Parts: sequence; structure tokens; C-alpha cells
Amino acid sequence: MFLHNFKYTFKTLFRNRGLIFWTVAFPVIMATFFHMAFADIIESDKLKVIDMAIVSNEEFENNILYKKTFTSLSDEKNKDRLFNITYTSKDKAKKLLEDDKIEGYLELKNNKPYLTFQANGINQTIIKYVVDEVHDTEKIFLMNADLDNSLGTISADIENYLNNNKVELKNIANSNLNYMMIEYYTLIAMTCLYAGCLGMVAIDNSLPYLKGNGKRITVSPTKKISIILSSLLAGYIVQLISLGLLFFYTICILNVDYGNHIGHIILLSLVGSIAGISLGVLVGAYIKASDNVKSGILIAITMAGCFLAGIMGVGMKYVIDKNLPLLNKINPANMITDGFYSLYYYTDFHRYWIDIISLLIFTLITIILSCNKIGRAKYDSI
Amino acid sequence: MEKVIEVKDLTKEYNKGIKAVDNLSLNVYKGEILGLLGPNGSGKSTTINCILSLLNYSKGSIKIFGKEMNPNSYDIKSQIGVVFQDVSVFDELTVYENLDYFCGLYIKDKKLRKQYIEDAIELVGLTEFKKYYPKQLSGGLLRRLNIACGIAHKPKLIFFDEPTVAVDPQSRNNILNGIKKLRDNGATIVYTTHYMEEVETLCDRIIILDKGNILARGTSDELKELAEIEEKITVEVNNLDVKYIEKISELKNVDVVTYSANTLLITYKKGKNNISDMVEFLKNNKIKYNKIFSERPTLNDVFLELTGKELRD
Repeated sequence: MFLHNFKYTFKTLFRNRGLIFWTVAFPVIMATFFHMAFADIIESDKLKVIDMAIVSNEEFENNILYKKTFTSLSDEKNKDRLFNITYTSKDKAKKLLEDDKIEGYLELKNNKPYLTFQANGINQTIIKYVVDEVHDTEKIFLMNADLDNSLGTISADIENYLNNNKVELKNIANSNLNYMMIEYYTLIAMTCLYAGCLGMVAIDNSLPYLKGNGKRITVSPTKKISIILSSLLAGYIVQLISLGLLFFYTICILNVDYGNHIGHIILLSLVGSIAGISLGVLVGAYIKASDNVKSGILIAITMAGCFLAGIMGVGMKYVIDKNLPLLNKINPANMITDGFYSLYYYTDFHRYWIDIISLLIFTLITIILSCNKIGRAKYDSI
Repeated sequence: MEKVIEVKDLTKEYNKGIKAVDNLSLNVYKGEILGLLGPNGSGKSTTINCILSLLNYSKGSIKIFGKEMNPNSYDIKSQIGVVFQDVSVFDELTVYENLDYFCGLYIKDKKLRKQYIEDAIELVGLTEFKKYYPKQLSGGLLRRLNIACGIAHKPKLIFFDEPTVAVDPQSRNNILNGIKKLRDNGATIVYTTHYMEEVETLCDRIIILDKGNILARGTSDELKELAEIEEKITVEVNNLDVKYIEKISELKNVDVVTYSANTLLITYKKGKNNISDMVEFLKNNKIKYNKIFSERPTLNDVFLELTGKELRD
């Protein structure tokens, strides 16, 4: 019975044009639009070198991590060259900034980096990002250092680290690309959550109080749990095909580079899709309305979640993180994009696993709520 | 006679205190077609949904094939077929696939299932439409598919919930003939409708429901006996003088006389030779008429007498 229902649910889902548009075609169309929109940015960014200044004081000269990092990132021989740096005094740096000759300047004071900008923009964001990364790396070295170790030993460690971590610098150098990657990650998150449409339709067809087909299935000698599980599995398989197509299209046709963590990305997509399906089941179980109304509600929820997670501009994600952190913590779209984001920006997987666990908790809660409704519900109207 | 369904004191009360079914008891016997007749909202569908365990009920007991019916009575469910009022098929599956899916919920053996599906397709006359999708079918054909999906697994007990609503006369005949064939092949059938002519021609026994209560039960003839009206005579006559209406009402056995739209309607309580008496009256008074005919009381007349309203209200 499980296989029989699975086979036909798979067929009905796959032949449902509306569903296939939202779950398969729409993400591919969006990816195409992203590619078209970002193609120019990528090309121009490859040639762009950001002008900045560094206050060449004693502290900077003695800080091997900052010095080596910025030397490397401004090296004309480096194909990923990011900065054109003027090493100067603070007054001259101020003057350069006022004359719009530089985007900003860095000063090290009391072991802390201070950045001065005159405007906000992507170049300033990149400078800040690089400085934050270097500062975080320095903190890690200092925390891990043995108190007995001399400063010379720490410096040697840092040198060693820099010599063996070229990739890290490359990632930093590609910060503009990262900005674009967040858009692609949000697109994957959206695709995962669109699995909700599949879950919703699958549950709609299985429950007696929602559709005639559900009544017909309910009066048959089949166990409800077997019908529901096989229907949801069919929905999940359709979703995996959709995701596979999106990855194939973005990697092989649009040449999107998802980095070195493809296994983690796939795992996160799989878990995200389960969360998406469970969201659809929740909407399907609780809302009594026509298919179109329910699909509209689910798509609106998904789009709103993706908007808050940064699909229309990564700035929104930062704004919500800063002002309404709880909203992003319960937003499955944000959990998925944040997981991707952490893979790109962090060397350890702590935050990634937190996002995976958060998605699983979200799934568990939605399933409990749905089961509560489905278990109690009977076709009951007058 | 062997009882297939035994319903005792069934009451279904909704949250607002509305009783959709009130203390209803009925039996359905093996091999019969039982008609549940009643206007919309009379409790027909609610009764069926309770019997099928699609609805919780407030009070009473339901036995099918001698066993208590509940949502987990899979052995009972395997012998039941249901044709719902709303067409319940998958738009994304062809006629054959829909049948294979629903039949497959009951019959695991693929070879046997294939034979059953072919039989069902032939019974409802969809042989030419096997590869069609539901959206490509007319309303009547869609109803036939709906029926085929409910009976393809050859159930012993079949519920038809108003299967002919919004169906053209040709498809209706096809459906009614198909139901008779199912009964002839040994199935027990519960048939709900508010079309009295369907139950008169199709059903062995009839239960008339209104507001969740059984008003009357019996064969078509037994129910008509309940009506005090014995005969109705209709006369098409132009511009009849009012004085004749008064005279007619004074004739033997006449109960009520009405005249509107050039149609004279006389109802009789009992008595014989009413139509010949009426013809003689018209002749004696030199009243010219176009047409005169006599009718036996219908189930609608019975219903009208019992409830004071028309069946299709």
C-alpha cells in the first residue's frame, strides 16, 4: 500500500503544473535573473581595486597579522588583489578621505582597529569585513597562546598560519562575490521552503476533511499513517529532483561556485526541504480554504521569510539580525541562509550545526502541531 | 433477512447544539436497495458519514456485517464502496490511473485489479475514455468515473450519495441502470437522493428523512398509502367561470380544487370513477377542455403531507 500510494502521489505531484512551476521552474527562473543581474557586477568587481589608507604608526608596524594580510591583499602580483593602500599619517589619511581619494582608512590603537569612512557602500563593507576577519583571527591566536610563549612564538604561529591559509585570503578577496552568493543561498532556501507546496498538496489529498479524495481514501481499508508518510515521501522526492535541477543549473550552466563545502550545502538543503515540507503540512492541516488560497498563503509566508533572510538585499538580514533577532531565529528561510553563510565565513562548523539543529527543532514543532490537528480532525461540517 | 447495516438510536449533534441526526434507527438488508429520501439538509449525508466513521456521532451504535463499525474497522471497510456527492478523483491521473489508484487501495493483486477495473469501466461505459484526464470529460462522464472509482473493487455494500446531481438524462439512465446491475450482482446498496422519481424506480425500500428524523419508511406503494390523497385529476381548460369551481368542490369525493394558468387541479381523498364523473360534469356544463388526465399520488405528495413542504425546497 505504501508503494502504491507513493507511486500515484508522485505522479499527481509531478503532473501538477502549478506545483511544478513554483517548486522547479520558478527557482530556475530566479537563478537566471540573479545571474543576469550579477554578471556585470562580477565582471566589474574583478577589475576593481579599493583605494584605502592605513595609518602607519608603531602599533601597525609591530602587528605582523595586519601588516602581512594587507600587504598580501594589496600585492600587485596577487591576482585577487583587493586594495590599493597608502601608508601615511593620520592627518594625511583624513585629507585623502576628505578629497575622496580613498574609501576609508584604518588605524590601530590600543590593540584595536579603528575604521573611518565618509560614506556607506559596498567598498566600505568590504574593508570592514576584512578588518573584522583579521581582528577575529588575531583574537583566536591570542586566546590559544600559551601564557609562557613569547610574542615571537605567537608571531611565528601567525606567519605560519598566513603561509598555510591562502584560501582564507582568497575568500576575503572575493567579498563582492560573497554578497552575490548570499542571494543564491537565499534562493536555495526559498526552493527548500517551496517544498511546502508539495507537502500541503500531499496532505490535502490524504485527509477526509479537506478534499473528496481524502474522504475516499479514509473510507478505504488503509492506515492513515501509511498514506500520509508515503505521500510526504513522494513530495520529498519531487523536491529533491527540484533541488538537484537547481544545483545542476546553477553549477553547470551559470557556473556558480558554491565553495568547498558542497557536502554540507547538500545536507543543509535536505534538512531545509524537510522543514519546508513540514511547513506545508502545517498550513495544509490548519487552514480550511481552496487550493489557490492555501498555496497563496504558503507562498506568501515563504516569500516573506526569504525577504527577511535577504533575498531582495542582504542588508535586510543584517537589519533583522540587529533589531529583531528572534524573528530570524524562528524564520526557517534565515536558518537555511545562515547555515550557508556560516559555511562561507566561518572556519568551524559550530554555527552551521546550530542552524541544522534549529531547522530540525522547527520541523519537530510543526509536525507535532500538525499531528495534533490531523489526529483530532474528522470531516465535520453542517 | 440478513442485516447488513444496523443503526440504533444514532444522534449527531454539532457544537452549536444543532441536531443533524436525531435518534435515528434503521436496518439495511442483504441484496436490497434502500433509498434515503429527503430535502437538502435533512441529514442523509450526515447519516452516511456517521455510518462510514467519517464523522463522530454523539450517541447510538452502528453495526455493519454484524460488527461494530469504527475508523479502524479495516475488515469491514474492505467490503464497502462509496460514491460521494462531489466528484472525487485526481485531475492529474487518467481515467484508468484513477481507477487503478482507488481500486489498489482495496485490491493488491495486480492481475485481479486489472480485471476489476475493466469490468468497472465497462459497467459505467467509459471504455473509450480510459486515457482521458478528468478535465477532458463532460459532467456526465465525470460522474460515471466518480461512480466507477467507488465500485471498482466489487464491494458487497455500496453507498451512493446523490450520484446524479447535475447529470444529463442520458447519463442518469446509464447510472441508474448500472446501480440495478450492481444489485443484481449481489451488492447491497444505500442510495441517497432528493429526486423522488429515482427512488420510486430504483429502490426496494425507502426511508423519508427530514431534520434528522425518519418521517416514514416502507416500499413506494406502502408510503403512498400513507397519503390521504387518492387521486389527482388535471384538466386544461381556458377561461373557466368561477361558479364552476364551487360546483366541482361540491362533487363526490373531491377534497381540494384549484384553478390557475388555465389548469384545473382536483384532488380526491378516495372513491372510484372520479375521472368519468369529472368528464360527465364537463360535458353536462358544456365546458370545453383541451386535456384531462388522472395521477396517483407521488412521494412528493406523501412528503408534502408529512412535512407541509415540497421535497425539493
